[in-house]
Amino acid sequence: MRHNHNARDALLFSLPFLIVYLAFLVLPIFYGIYLSFFDWNILSGKRFIGFLNYLDAFKDDKFLSSLLHTCEFVLISTPTIIVAGFLMALIVMSSSKLKRGAETVFFMPYILSITVVGTLWSWIFQGSFGILNQTLLALGLRTVGWLTDPKTAMWSIACATVWWTAGFNMILFTAGIKQIPDDVYEAAKLDGAGYFTTLAKITLPMLRNTSILVLILQVIASFKVFGQSYVMTGGGPYGSTRVLVQYIYETGFTYFRMGYASAMSILLFLIILFVSIFQFAAAKGEGK
Amino acid sequence: MSKRRLFDVLIALLLVLWIAPTIWLGVTSLKSEKNVVTDHLSLFSSTPTLANYSKAFGSTEIARWLFNSVIVSVVSTILTLVIDSMIAYALARIPFRGSDALFIFVLAGMMVPFEALIIQLYLEFNALGLINTLAAIVLPRLAMPIGVFILTQFFKEIPLALEEAAYIDGAGRWTIFTSIVIPNGKSALVTVMILSFINAWNDFLWPLVVASDSVKYTITVGIANFQGTHGTEYSLIMAGAVVASLPLIVLFLAFRDQIVKGIALTGMKD
Repeated sequence: MRHNHNARDALLFSLPFLIVYLAFLVLPIFYGIYLSFFDWNILSGKRFIGFLNYLDAFKDDKFLSSLLHTCEFVLISTPTIIVAGFLMALIVMSSSKLKRGAETVFFMPYILSITVVGTLWSWIFQGSFGILNQTLLALGLRTVGWLTDPKTAMWSIACATVWWTAGFNMILFTAGIKQIPDDVYEAAKLDGAGYFTTLAKITLPMLRNTSILVLILQVIASFKVFGQSYVMTGGGPYGSTRVLVQYIYETGFTYFRMGYASAMSILLFLIILFVSIFQFAAAKGEGK
Repeated sequence: MSKRRLFDVLIALLLVLWIAPTIWLGVTSLKSEKNVVTDHLSLFSSTPTLANYSKAFGSTEIARWLFNSVIVSVVSTILTLVIDSMIAYALARIPFRGSDALFIFVLAGMMVPFEALIIQLYLEFNALGLINTLAAIVLPRLAMPIGVFILTQFFKEIPLALEEAAYIDGAGRWTIFTSIVIPNGKSALVTVMILSFINAWNDFLWPLVVASDSVKYTITVGIANFQGTHGTEYSLIMAGAVVASLPLIVLFLAFRDQIVKGIALTGMKD
């Protein structure tokens, strides 16, 4: 085989990807770090202010409440989505005749875009004509302000999100269960272990790696939440569902404070980086 | 046996619950504006109508948004496949110094949240004079690290003998790439194609940021805006949502197994 042109060929084949990658992923990261040290309202000039944007963020009530709402969403949605996805995987891996249909039905919402999911659930949750409140009325119960009551709005958004993405985690869990060798189950069967014993003693422990992966991916995805609240509540009522990405978006494109928005973007990046590193540490610890 | 029947009934109930919102989407879109607020609960309107669809296409820009989404998704899928498979070929089949480092450099991109780049990307595209263009929607989505990962792993499995035979016949790298690696990597390419298409079609935040002129909206941004402009016309909004989803639902039903396999393989969301 020829070896003389290896380096040149490798470079030529990598170049198109690398150009796009450097221009629209690597460069923006460094540009963002740079911008985060400036006070820059698009209308005025740039002014270097060091770490002031970062310090301001932690004194900014809106930033802190957005961070709080994001954490609230992460805490509500993550366990629900993971448990739902796991139960779905158990159904898909069961011997039920419905399992193939179940896989299709459970996964289908995931391919819908967030704006479709958001508008659909806004309609379901709609106060006066929505099907949920109409059903409550028909049953003689009081209606609920699903998206209009600050106490329930985030829960409603999380509910729509569970419907949207639980099927994704189902696929990951299903793949994990498929990797457990059959003879382990057969041995358990010979020992007379029932369904729930097998589940607790074999399936769950052997899914440890998959569960860590699912957990981390889900936490990261939940921290990046934006479309749901943007479409369903616009961040309301009274800002109770305004999340981090929405506040970055507003700071940048409504108030044009590009330096401050960049600093908050970097903070979001750091949070997600921290979660990712935690993932690697957890995965490594698994090897021991 | 009865336990088993009970289990099946439970699953069936769960399935009905899970599919209900989608059915409700379709049902609402076929109701007249008046029926939506009068017979709230009826599953099948006594007078189903396609009026919302003709109104959606007639008096909104939905046809334009669909067209934009098709262009954006098709173009970005094709270009992603080209550049991702090229670098994947280099990483999988060409021995060179720094190969491992390059692979890690590319994979590190998976940890970068796109949401944290929108401000800088907007300024970048503003400087390039590309705000409000479809090109701006496409460009940042092209370099897809997860696609490189899938393709590299797959290309490594192609038997070396095929490549060696071609070398002996005097084929260059480009010929080998197009005539051996691509045809043999078809199933991985299909996986990446589907993931890329779904990502592009459903992308929301970036098109929202970069397309402020409604003529340049993609369908996802257009539907989000529907609520603002057609606030209480629920059946019209739902008809728009059906139009926005239909291409993906068809794609999903056609490529169900590949999509599921692709997701299982990657464990990656976007």
